[in-house]
Amino acid sequence: MRIVSAAETAPPTYHWAVHAEGLQVRAGRRYLAVDGLDLALGPGVHGLLGPNGAGKTTLMRALATALAPAGGTLTLLGEQIGARSDLRGIRRDLGYLPQQFGFYPRFTVREFVEYMAWLKEMPGQGVPSAVQRAIDRVGLTAKADARMKTLSGGMLRRAGIAQAIVNDPAVLLLDEPTVGLDPEQRLDFRELLRDLGTDSCVLVSTHLVEDVVAACTDVVMMNEGRVLFQGTTADLIAHGGPGDAGDSPAERGYSALLRRHRAEAAR
Amino acid sequence: MNRVLGIELRRSAAVGTMLTLAVIGTLLIYFLEQIYFADGWMQLAMTMRLYLALLFPLALAAGAWQARREQRAMVAELFSTLPRPRAQRVLPVVLAMTLAVVAGYLTVGLAGAAWIAGTARYLPAAVFAVVGVGLLALVAAVWLGLAAGRLLPSPVTAPLLAVVGFASLLLIPGATRPHDWLGMMLSPIWAMNMPGPYETMNGLVSAAQGLWLAGLAVTGMLLLISGGWRLRVAAVLPVALGLALGAAVMPRSVDVLSAVDTRAKELVCSEDEPRVCLSRVHAGLLDEVTGPAREALTVLAAVPGAPTRVHEDTSTYSPDVFPPRQADVVLLDVEVGQDAHLENGADVVANVLIKALSNPWSCGEYSGRSDAMAAAFWLLGREPALNGELNQEAVDEAKVLWQGLAKLPADEAAGRVAALRKAATNCAVTDGALLGGARP
Repeated sequence: MRIVSAAETAPPTYHWAVHAEGLQVRAGRRYLAVDGLDLALGPGVHGLLGPNGAGKTTLMRALATALAPAGGTLTLLGEQIGARSDLRGIRRDLGYLPQQFGFYPRFTVREFVEYMAWLKEMPGQGVPSAVQRAIDRVGLTAKADARMKTLSGGMLRRAGIAQAIVNDPAVLLLDEPTVGLDPEQRLDFRELLRDLGTDSCVLVSTHLVEDVVAACTDVVMMNEGRVLFQGTTADLIAHGGPGDAGDSPAERGYSALLRRHRAEAAR
Repeated sequence: MNRVLGIELRRSAAVGTMLTLAVIGTLLIYFLEQIYFADGWMQLAMTMRLYLALLFPLALAAGAWQARREQRAMVAELFSTLPRPRAQRVLPVVLAMTLAVVAGYLTVGLAGAAWIAGTARYLPAAVFAVVGVGLLALVAAVWLGLAAGRLLPSPVTAPLLAVVGFASLLLIPGATRPHDWLGMMLSPIWAMNMPGPYETMNGLVSAAQGLWLAGLAVTGMLLLISGGWRLRVAAVLPVALGLALGAAVMPRSVDVLSAVDTRAKELVCSEDEPRVCLSRVHAGLLDEVTGPAREALTVLAAVPGAPTRVHEDTSTYSPDVFPPRQADVVLLDVEVGQDAHLENGADVVANVLIKALSNPWSCGEYSGRSDAMAAAFWLLGREPALNGELNQEAVDEAKVLWQGLAKLPADEAAGRVAALRKAATNCAVTDGALLGGARP
């Protein structure tokens, strides 16, 4: 149980939680890893698919406000994001698990998640219960008071998810959250994703097409810095045929889309 | 914030820093050479300051080590997406490290206090100023270290910074010569070695050192929280301001280098007669001195014109200040031993007698020591022997003189001793004064 403030129950003043038009983002000094990307995301779980180098991680960084857009427009929760914007308010409503999740090894899981809650400027009295809830939701209850450095790869990933969701973010960005999870943990994680997606906008970047099909309401496919497909998982599957590469209908849809896009680009 | 401070106190380098400073500082004040703080609280405060020579570089290194945590843990990307501003984010860890150096330094003080608590009485306000400047030095060091570790996040930053800090402290005297006032303001360890019993630190000197160190600390803090080059450039202002204000306050006179606390020299006396008086700083030793001093006065009573009181000899030098010469007062040198009690307590009776039969220091004439020793032991009725005497030749000579004196008829010998006492009150004692031509 927690007290819900009026601000939280007020209807949003924006249409899309994430809205990008012609978005350009640099990776490094010059290279535009995201170049002319259009994207609109509302509540739900969105799977972000694409080959290595498609610009997925750069896009995630931009949405997390770690990188400023180099061109185009990006709007998060109705606020325009630029190099000079005051991001403090927006950042309180973000949750982010970077691909390379950095953590303080001497902290316990509970301490680290609590520390992150403080950095996210959560009001003090709600923090201990929110921390416990986040740890429970990722299934680390038994390890809550273990030092971070003693955790296995999968546990670290889950601790990373716990810190991302501790503030009940309106936009949750998870970059490869399932790396290191065993099959059972992945099933639990899909469950958690479905739960999170009921009232937040969740964007999950992954290479595992199966995770997307199982847990996501829709799919965003990227290649070479742009969105090449956005639709439901059923749409993705529909693109595949028996002749396409892949062991499942969704994988066949993925490879069919990619092949067709590359063929068009080559022309 | 409180909970996060608690986390940082447990998980940062705070506990290790505190323990390192406390253990190394305690070992230094007790074991590096000898215990220089047995006289009292001011001597303890100054000895603690001296060993900032090592604690200051250690605090620098601890700060730099702690500040590298963000880089080591690769949290930069995640933290760059968080709303809390950098200045607030570093506050808990800065507080934890500050508490650590403060607690570490005060623990060294407590460890020293335990040794002298039984005999140290006089606690002037200047002690707190001296300790305060020491604390400020460590706070400035740990903040500068945190800033350096953040701006240059490399594994070599911490050790390099320690070496630079140590070298700077050692090089300040040479670099500021002949402007000793400047060196003294800049270096918290200046003039802190082997403090004398009546030594103190001029309040204006402490104030100037405090201003300079505060400026240094604020500069460290600004560099630590700075997000861009503007604040980093502005960070030179506090240290420049501290330097300017400190220089304005700092006395230029050389006298401040060895300031004497006249209140510490004032005599504190036993309540009943015959009066035995020690300086205020040694007042805790009064019980140890009174008994043997009175015993000596009783023995002396047989000598015509015998003194009736014993005062500590509170002479201080350059500039020379001596206690007044009074015919009824013996001026006794009081030294505090390594155990914070009277050095060579067994010699006190003999020493009072010897001093009654010697020229006081104020005469500027130091000869005749063997004669005084021989006469003193003749009065005591035993062969000269002193535990604490460094000049064994003088003792051997005194033994010969003592034998000569013992061979004389009793009233002849008593007359010689009386003449020696009379000479001592006129600064007239010289070598051979006791037996004169009758030297064996």
